[in-house]
Amino acid sequence: MGEIKQISHWRLLFKVNQIQNWRRLQSAVSSSRLHAFLMGLFVVGYAWLAFQLFSKGLQFTSSFPGLGPVLIERMIFLLFAFLFFLLLLSNVIINFTNLFRNRETHFLLTLPVSHQVIFRWKIFESGILASWAFLFLVTPLLIAYGETYNSTWHFYLVTPLFIGMFVILPGVLGSWVALFLARWLDRLAFQVAAMLVIILVIVFISSWLQPEIVTDEMLETRVLDVVDRLLARTQFSLFPFLPSYWVSSGITQWIEGAVMGALFFGLVLLSHTLFFGYIATTRSGSMFFSSLSAVNSRGRKASLWRIPKIKKNSQFDFKPKLLDRLAKLFWWWSKSDSRALIVKDTLTFWRDTTQWGQSLVLLGLLVAYIMNLRYFSHRLTSDFWVDLTSYLNLGACALNLATLTTRFVFPQISLEGKRIWIIGMAPLGMKRTLMTKFLFSTAVSMIVTMALVGASCMMLSVSVERMIYFILAIGVMAFTLNALALGLGALYPNFREDNPSKIVSGFGGTLCLVLSFLYIVGMVGLMAFTSFWAFGGSSSLVFVFGCLGFLIVSFFLGWFPLRKGIQRMSSIEV
Amino acid sequence: MIEIKGLSKSFGDLTAVNDINLSVPKGEFFVILGPNAAGKTTTIKVMAGLMKPTSGSVHVCGYNIESEPLKARKRMAYLPDFPFLYDKLTPIEFFRFTGQLFGMSESHIQNESDSLSDRFSLGEFLSNPIESLSHGTKQRVAIVSALMHAPEVFVLDEPMVGLDPHHARILKDILRERANQGMTVFVSTHQLSVAEEMADRIGIMNQGKIVAVGSHSELQAANHDNKLESIFLSLTLKTDGRN
Repeated sequence: MGEIKQISHWRLLFKVNQIQNWRRLQSAVSSSRLHAFLMGLFVVGYAWLAFQLFSKGLQFTSSFPGLGPVLIERMIFLLFAFLFFLLLLSNVIINFTNLFRNRETHFLLTLPVSHQVIFRWKIFESGILASWAFLFLVTPLLIAYGETYNSTWHFYLVTPLFIGMFVILPGVLGSWVALFLARWLDRLAFQVAAMLVIILVIVFISSWLQPEIVTDEMLETRVLDVVDRLLARTQFSLFPFLPSYWVSSGITQWIEGAVMGALFFGLVLLSHTLFFGYIATTRSGSMFFSSLSAVNSRGRKASLWRIPKIKKNSQFDFKPKLLDRLAKLFWWWSKSDSRALIVKDTLTFWRDTTQWGQSLVLLGLLVAYIMNLRYFSHRLTSDFWVDLTSYLNLGACALNLATLTTRFVFPQISLEGKRIWIIGMAPLGMKRTLMTKFLFSTAVSMIVTMALVGASCMMLSVSVERMIYFILAIGVMAFTLNALALGLGALYPNFREDNPSKIVSGFGGTLCLVLSFLYIVGMVGLMAFTSFWAFGGSSSLVFVFGCLGFLIVSFFLGWFPLRKGIQRMSSIEV
Repeated sequence: MIEIKGLSKSFGDLTAVNDINLSVPKGEFFVILGPNAAGKTTTIKVMAGLMKPTSGSVHVCGYNIESEPLKARKRMAYLPDFPFLYDKLTPIEFFRFTGQLFGMSESHIQNESDSLSDRFSLGEFLSNPIESLSHGTKQRVAIVSALMHAPEVFVLDEPMVGLDPHHARILKDILRERANQGMTVFVSTHQLSVAEEMADRIGIMNQGKIVAVGSHSELQAANHDNKLESIFLSLTLKTDGRN
């Protein structure tokens, strides 16, 4: 028998997962070289484009005499402050899933691996998952920042150290918040307190984001005063106990040559990272197991916030519910099996909090943006800005819709997964299944986006005929984007995966997103350049050609993948 | 080997396991039977250290699973009905990983995994990624990995799911051999034939309680019935208001 060489469990876990991830990457590259190429192109393209944009933006801002450096510095502080909170949120969500809803965690708990090691491994894994996008975002910005100030070479060595220490803190904090939530989420007092905190935060943010009244006279004669008032609103990013303040101060002072000041903030960051990192990696294991046990032991009783239902005589009530009645009302021309599919899809979507939660966040952002148009629309005195804003609005709505169709419509077929035989064996058939899903998702997205575009046009006070033009345009785009997403979803299904995020990250999902974005950018550009009204106005003939071009491209980009998808589904082996 | 004292486990208002007491000595092959939602899997999950009991305690090889979990888990193995395996690893790599977690030497891992893989006819699959294996083959990989460190207590939840009759036979033989050598086997199953054929003692759970425990012949005598099926049905139907 050989000598027993005890290897640390954490190292073993690291090694096994490293092999797993490396092989996943290899198999992704070998299974679709085109996908790998597109992904590589996207990564390099994004980094290059982001660097160029940040570089131009920073150079433009720095050109304001006296004011430029102040604005840039404040933007850096603001950026890191917001990123800190986003990282924290991201870490909470990922840690919660990774610690309590993960099969590997449950497997490890049955082996002689201490709770502390499992927790340490899982927060490390979650931290990487939560932070890679942040690193991807800030890298071109920081390089552009260094270039703008002609920084020395050591700036590019020191900055990654600051960033590396910075991402650990929200990682640790996020894991503790996740433990706390998991442990106490089912307590009424906790739920009440959480609701109160959320309401208070919303009230506070609403009052904080009240529009600043700035007159034309002030803009012309008291620029510094206006800037000062605007900067006062960003004062929170200078709160000295925020880790984002330490990292921002360290980076900005290093670039200014204030090495001692930068070192001071570096040490502040290091001491906090070591202190909290040490506690998390050596003292949180038992808390983790208590929380995990609480999650696993949670009853499936009705939520305390749910209105109790009146008990009927029969335990099983098969009478049509509200959703069935609504489906019959709005889908009266369809057969009952199609309506059943719609009701099933709606219920599945509604009962999955992560699904509707994410769509609510995306739509909420769009609504907040459109509602804010009313605050600055009266400042758009020039026709050029009104025209530009109206087309940007259309683009923003369409991009938002593309995100929603890629995220929620594309995985529809894959999500049927192992249950697809239920539909496949039913008289409904695959073709009608696909068409029903397409018509339903198109109808819903048309209603939402047409209403939002109409509202934004009203905020911008554009003429009625232009409003109708924009509403019809987003309607056509809704058709195309839904058909494209569903068609590609049927062409590239992934029946092995239950997680929609993972389905979307495959080749089909990436292709869907890239094609949707290219389509939107191309079509909004085409419509703007051939517009009858905007940017000086084109001739009627150019306008008609522009509209025809838009309709033809839209039709074929939607129809072709949908047709192919239907063919694929009709011949699929269930 | 396994000492369960006053164990209760509640999920909100639902009491899944209600004050059970059970002692399974060294080398015994114990089978727990029960209808769906009787509390078998919950009991096993508490034994495996996946959740804390609401009250009571579980001792495995003399160690309390709550206060000394590492010592207890080092001496036991747990095989769920759908075991977790790293899909991109090969079975050999997976055996090495679990063996190292149990502190086994390289040569020990190799010897044990070789002999068990031979018995479960895994030879041709050992270098293939686990994701490419069928459900039954994956189940065999999980069994080999669980048995490699020669656990003193082996807890299995529906182990025959996915196994063909040939490999189900091999598993039963190995479990019997190991039980004869002193390993305590605790199996939860719906297959009454497994209990009849293999068990030294049978426990029947219903609505969170152990309603009967004893050897096959003791159960037959106590219930004045020769067939385990009718004993099971009579014990679970008379207290189960749902049926």
